[in-house]
Amino acid sequence: MKPASFDYHRPQTVEDALGLLARFGETAKPIAGGQSLGPMLNMRLARPRHLVDLNDLVELDFVRVVDGVLELGAMTRHQRVATSAEVRRAHPLLAAAAATIGHYPIRQRGTLGGSLVHADPAAQMPLIAVLANARIVIGGVGGMREIAACDFFQSVMTVDLRAGEIVTSVRFPVLAPNAGWGFRLFSRRHGDFAMVAVAATLALADDGRVADLKVAVGGVASVPFRIDLDASVFAGATPTASWIEEISAHVAERIAPEDNALVPAEYRRELTEALVRDGIKDALRNTQVEAA
Amino acid sequence: MSDKRTITLTVNGTTREADVEPRRLLSDVLREDLGLTGTHVGCEHGVCGACTVLIDDKPARACLTYAVQMEGHEITTIEAVGEETLSPLQQALHEEHGLQCGFCTPGIVMTFEAFLREMPDPSEAQVRDVLSGNLCRCTGYQNIVVAVLKAAAVMREKRP
Amino acid sequence: MTARSQFNYIGKPLARKEDRRLVTGHGRYLDDIVVPGALHACFVRSPHAHAKILGISVEAAHEVPGVVGVFTGKDLAQWTNRLRQAPRIEGLQPTEIETLPTDKVRFHGDPVAVVVASDRYVAEDAAELVEVDYEMLAPVASLEAALAPGAALVDDALPSNLVSHQSFSAGNVEARRKEAHAVVEATFYQHRQTHVPMETRGCAAVWDQGREHLTFHIGNQVPHPLRSALAGRLGLSESQVTVISPDVGGGFGQKIALYREELTVAALARHLKQPLRWREDRSENLMAASHARENLCHTRTSVAADGRILGIELEIFEDFGAYCFYPANYMSRVVAMILTGPYRIADYTFEVKVALTNKCGNGPMRAPMAITSWVMDGTIDAIARQLELDPLKVRRVNMLRTADLPYRMATGETLEDITPAETLESAVASIGYDAFHERQRALREEGRYIGLGLCTVVESTTYGSAFYKTTGIAGSGHEAAWVRIEPSGVINASVGLGGSGQGYETALSQTVAEGLGVDPSMVRILTGNTDVAPYGMGSRGARGGTAGGGALYLCAQKAAEQVLRIAAHRLGLNSAQELRLLDGQVERRINNEWTGTGLFLTDIARTAYLDPTNLPEGVAPGLDFSLTYDPPPMTYSNSTHACEVEVDTRTGRLTILRYVVSEDCGTVINPIVVRGQQQGAIAMGLSGSLFEQVVYDENGQNLSATFADYLVATACELPEVEILHNHTPNKRTPAGIKGMAEGGVMGAIGAVSNAVNDALAPFGVAATHQPLSPQYLRSLLRGRADRNRQEGQD
Repeated sequence: MKPASFDYHRPQTVEDALGLLARFGETAKPIAGGQSLGPMLNMRLARPRHLVDLNDLVELDFVRVVDGVLELGAMTRHQRVATSAEVRRAHPLLAAAAATIGHYPIRQRGTLGGSLVHADPAAQMPLIAVLANARIVIGGVGGMREIAACDFFQSVMTVDLRAGEIVTSVRFPVLAPNAGWGFRLFSRRHGDFAMVAVAATLALADDGRVADLKVAVGGVASVPFRIDLDASVFAGATPTASWIEEISAHVAERIAPEDNALVPAEYRRELTEALVRDGIKDALRNTQVEAA
Repeated sequence: MSDKRTITLTVNGTTREADVEPRRLLSDVLREDLGLTGTHVGCEHGVCGACTVLIDDKPARACLTYAVQMEGHEITTIEAVGEETLSPLQQALHEEHGLQCGFCTPGIVMTFEAFLREMPDPSEAQVRDVLSGNLCRCTGYQNIVVAVLKAAAVMREKRP
Repeated sequence: MTARSQFNYIGKPLARKEDRRLVTGHGRYLDDIVVPGALHACFVRSPHAHAKILGISVEAAHEVPGVVGVFTGKDLAQWTNRLRQAPRIEGLQPTEIETLPTDKVRFHGDPVAVVVASDRYVAEDAAELVEVDYEMLAPVASLEAALAPGAALVDDALPSNLVSHQSFSAGNVEARRKEAHAVVEATFYQHRQTHVPMETRGCAAVWDQGREHLTFHIGNQVPHPLRSALAGRLGLSESQVTVISPDVGGGFGQKIALYREELTVAALARHLKQPLRWREDRSENLMAASHARENLCHTRTSVAADGRILGIELEIFEDFGAYCFYPANYMSRVVAMILTGPYRIADYTFEVKVALTNKCGNGPMRAPMAITSWVMDGTIDAIARQLELDPLKVRRVNMLRTADLPYRMATGETLEDITPAETLESAVASIGYDAFHERQRALREEGRYIGLGLCTVVESTTYGSAFYKTTGIAGSGHEAAWVRIEPSGVINASVGLGGSGQGYETALSQTVAEGLGVDPSMVRILTGNTDVAPYGMGSRGARGGTAGGGALYLCAQKAAEQVLRIAAHRLGLNSAQELRLLDGQVERRINNEWTGTGLFLTDIARTAYLDPTNLPEGVAPGLDFSLTYDPPPMTYSNSTHACEVEVDTRTGRLTILRYVVSEDCGTVINPIVVRGQQQGAIAMGLSGSLFEQVVYDENGQNLSATFADYLVATACELPEVEILHNHTPNKRTPAGIKGMAEGGVMGAIGAVSNAVNDALAPFGVAATHQPLSPQYLRSLLRGRADRNRQEGQD
C-alpha cells in the first residue's frame, strides 16, 4: 500500500500555491491535513502527478469574528475548531461537531477546508456548513469567489471547485445567542463516518413558541442537505413532545436514501427520524439553558 | 519514478538526512532510512494508530504523512520516550498489564504522552475517546485505560 | 484461593519481563529485523473470485527500473512441492494446493504472480503492470451456491464442493423425540471473520549458498512445524532450515500454517541467491491471509416439561473458502465434539458438512470452536422461550454437578475437574439475577429494553497425542523443553512454543522457577528459534500453559533432583530426601523445619561445570536437562459469562452495560497474564459478534479489505470485564494447569446474543444471526411492538 510517484511542491504563499495549481492543472492535487487524501494516495485511488502542499500557508489558519460572521481559514485544524473559545462562543454547534471528527490524532492534522473539499456525504463539516448557510471562499489565479455551501457540494466527493482553485476560508453566520442547537450522529463505532448525521438549530420567540427551525441531514444522499421546512410546519408551534415527533416524521418523509446491501434505505430513514428527534430535543434543551 | 531528493529532518532533537522520493511515507523513512523501528506500521490508511508519532508535539499518523513534508518540523518517536527510565505512562502500562503483543503500544504511548500534557486530569470517558483512535487486538483496552488514568495521577503528583 | 498456596513462584502476579523493550519501541517484530541487501516482494492478486488463467504477461513489469524478476505459478512449481492435505478421515476429501495457482484463481485476492524489486514502492509499481488474461468462471459465493446441484467446482479435482462430511450418533435421539414433551428448533449463523493481528504476516528469507542453508525470519506461532513444512516443500532437510520468530505482533491462529506467499519468498531467495522479504499490507491481510468461522448450525432438542434435555440433534454447515490449509473437518468437528459441554446429555447426533467456496481459505481463529457455547446456551434459551421457563432454571436442571464427574460425554470425551455449576451460581449471584429482572420490568414500562444473557462454557484447552490419534488427525500433542543451569547458576530454558503476546518470558519462567526452586528473575526463557528451541508443537489452542509450562515444570524438577543430589554429596549426606532448593539456596529439613545450608545453586553449578571430579559417583558434569511431555488426551477449563445489554429499539443500537465472568482455569501460573488473556478473549468475542464481518458480494468480490470496512471494536465499544476466579486444579497435569484464553471468545459470543434476545423478548423476536449490527436488530423489530405495551402505541 504505497502511493504512486508524484512530484512535491511546497508553496509559501497562497499566491504561489495558486500559481502552481494553475500551471499543473488537472495533474495537480493540493494536500492539506492529508487525513482523507493520504489513504487514497496510499491505495492508489488518487494518483496526481504533482502534490501541492498547503501546510505552510499559515495565513489560512485563522479564526475571526467580524460583523456577525465567524470566518475560519481553510487550513484551520479540526482540533482548533473544536476547542477554540471563539468558535465555541460564535458557533457552538460547529465546535461540537468538529470534536466528533475521526479520532484525536486525526483532528490534530485534518483541516476544515480539506474536509469540505473531500465532501464525504456523511462528514460533519459539510453538514454544518450547509445547515448554517455558510459561504465558501475560493481562491484562484483569476481572483476570489464566494459560493453558498449548498451550491458548493455537488455530489459524492464532488464540489464546485475548478482545477487551480482552492478553498481559502469559510464564513459562518454567527449562531444567534438565543438559538439552541443539536448535533447527532449514528455510526457503528466511535469515530467512524456517520451512517446518518443530523444537525439542527432552533430559536424560540419570547412566548416560548418556535420562531425558527433548521434541520440538515448527512449520509442519506450524495450530499448533505438542509431540509426545506416550510415555516408553516413549525412557526408558532409549541415545542411539545408530540410536535417533535411530527417534525421528525416529517423530515424522515422528505429524504430518499439509497438502498445498499449493508444498509437498507428504510433503516437510514428510521435512523434519521430518531436522530432528528434527539437533535431537536437537544436544541430545545440548550435554548432553555440559554434562556435561563 | 520521481527523483529522489535529500531531505533534512529533525527527529528526537537530532538533525537527520535521508535521500528519498517525495512519495515515501514518514513511517517508512523513520523505520528504514533512519533505523527507528519503534514506530510500527499496522494499516497504512490511518485507522489503526500503530504508527502514531508526534509532529511538533502533536500526535499524527506517520503513514498519512510524506517525509518530505516534515522538513522544518520536529518529529518525536517512541525512541525518545523512556530512554533512561520508563515514563510514568510506560511504567503504568507495564504495571497494569496494558500490553500483550506490544505491536500497538508505541502508537498508544505517543498518543497519550501528548494527550496527558494537554489534559492532565482526564475522565475515563475522555481516555476511551482518545484511545479509540488506536486499535489493540490483544487486551480489550481495559488495562490500557487503567494504566493511562494511573499515569495521569502519577504525573499530576510529580508536577510542582 | 486458599490462604497459603502450595507453590512458591507459580501464582505470583509478576509484571512482565518482556514489557520494557516493547513499551520503548525496542521489540523485534519481523519488519524490524534488518537484512542487508534484501529485495522486496509484492504479490499480484486476482481481482476475480473464480477465473481461468489464460496467460500472464510480465514484460512491462520487468522493464521498471529496480525490478529483479517477476515469477508465476509455473516458475514456482519447478522449485517447490505442492501441499497435499489427505489425513485418513472418513468423509474428508484429499486436496492439493499449488504454491501459486497455474490454471485458475479461486478467490478475490488469490496470488497469481510475484514481483521482486529493490523496494516495496517499485515492486508495487511493477505489480500494477503485470497483465493477467482471465476467463471468468461462475463464482461460488455462498454455502447455498456451493451445495446447489450443478454448482461450479471450486476445486476441479473433487467430485463436488462438499469437501468434508461426517456424522455421529450416540443413544437414540429418535426415541427421545417421540417421548418428548416438546421439540425445540433453533438456528445459529455465525458470519465470516478474520484474525487481524496488528502485525500483518510477513517474512524475510536468507539463503546461504555456501552452507546451503535457509534462515527464515517470520512471525509465527509454531516455529518447528513451520520449519518441517518449509523444508519439505522446498526439498530441503530440516537441518538446512532455521526459523526465527523473535517478537510477534499477534497471531490468534493466523500465524500457524505455511502460507503460499511465505513459501514463494523462501523459494525465490534460494533461486535468486539474494535475501528477499515480504510484508503483507493490511488490505492483503484482510482479503487474503486467512479467514475464519462462517458456519450455520441447527439444533433440534427433545425436552421434558421442566426443560430437561432428553436428546439433541446438531447439524453444522461451514463455508470453508477456496483452499484447505487445514483438514476441512477440523474446526467444525471440535464444535460437534464438545457441544453438550456442561450439560448432562446422553442422546446426541451430529452431522457436519463443510463446503468449498470462492472465498479466502479458513483457518483456526482464537477459539476455532467459537460458536459452540452460543449454539448450546442459545438452545437452552430457545427451550426456555418456547416452554416459558426461566432460562436459569433450565440450565440448573441440565447442568453437570461435581457428583457427576468424571463425566463421559456422548461423544466419548471425558470431563473431569470442572465446575460449571459453581461458575454459573457465582456469576448469577454477582450480576444480581433477580434484581436485574425487577429493573428490566420497570424499564420496559418506560420503553427501554435491557436484557441479561448467560453462557456457560466448557473449553477444550490442551489436546494430547491420544486426542489426535482418536480423531484421525496426524500429529502429536506433546511439547518439549530443556533447562540449562549455566556455570554461574543462572538458568536458560526453552520450549517449542511461539509466543505472540502471551507473556511466556514471564509466566514460563515461573514454572521453571517452581520446578527448580529459584527466583523467576534467574530464569531466561528462549523461544522462537528452531536452532535453540527443542522440537515442539508450538502455540495453538490454549496449550501453552499446560503443554509448554508443564514440560518446563517437569524438566526443572528433573534439574532440581540432580542439583540436590550434588548438594547432598557436598553436605556429606547419603540422600537428598530432606533437601530442597528455595530462592536458589539449598535447604535442609531438620525436625520438620527447613533451614538454609549456606549452599547455593551457584555453588552447585560451579562444581558441576568447573570441578566435576567432586561430583558424586555416577553424576555426569554439567547441568543440562531435557524432557518431552504429552498432556492427557484433552484438558478442559470452564466459565460462566453474564452480560447485560440495552437495545435502543428505534435505532437497533446495542450497548453493553455490564459484563461478569466467573472463570475456572485450574492453577494459574501468573494471574496478571491470565486476566489479560481472559479480557482479550472476551474482547475478541464481542468485537466479532457485534462489529466484524468479512463481506463478499454475490460475485465473490471482497468488500471489507480496509479498516474502514472491517470493523474492529475500539475502546469505546468494549465493556469493563469483571472476573471472578475459581481454581480447581486438573489432577492429571503438572501443577494442575489447565489452560485458558479461548473460552472467553466462546462465552462472549453466546452471552451477548442471549442478552439481546432477552431484551427483545417483549417483541416476540430473537436474533439468529451475527453480527448483531444495529441494522440487523432494527430489521427484527420493524413492524413489531412490545406485546405488553400495545395499548396506546402506534
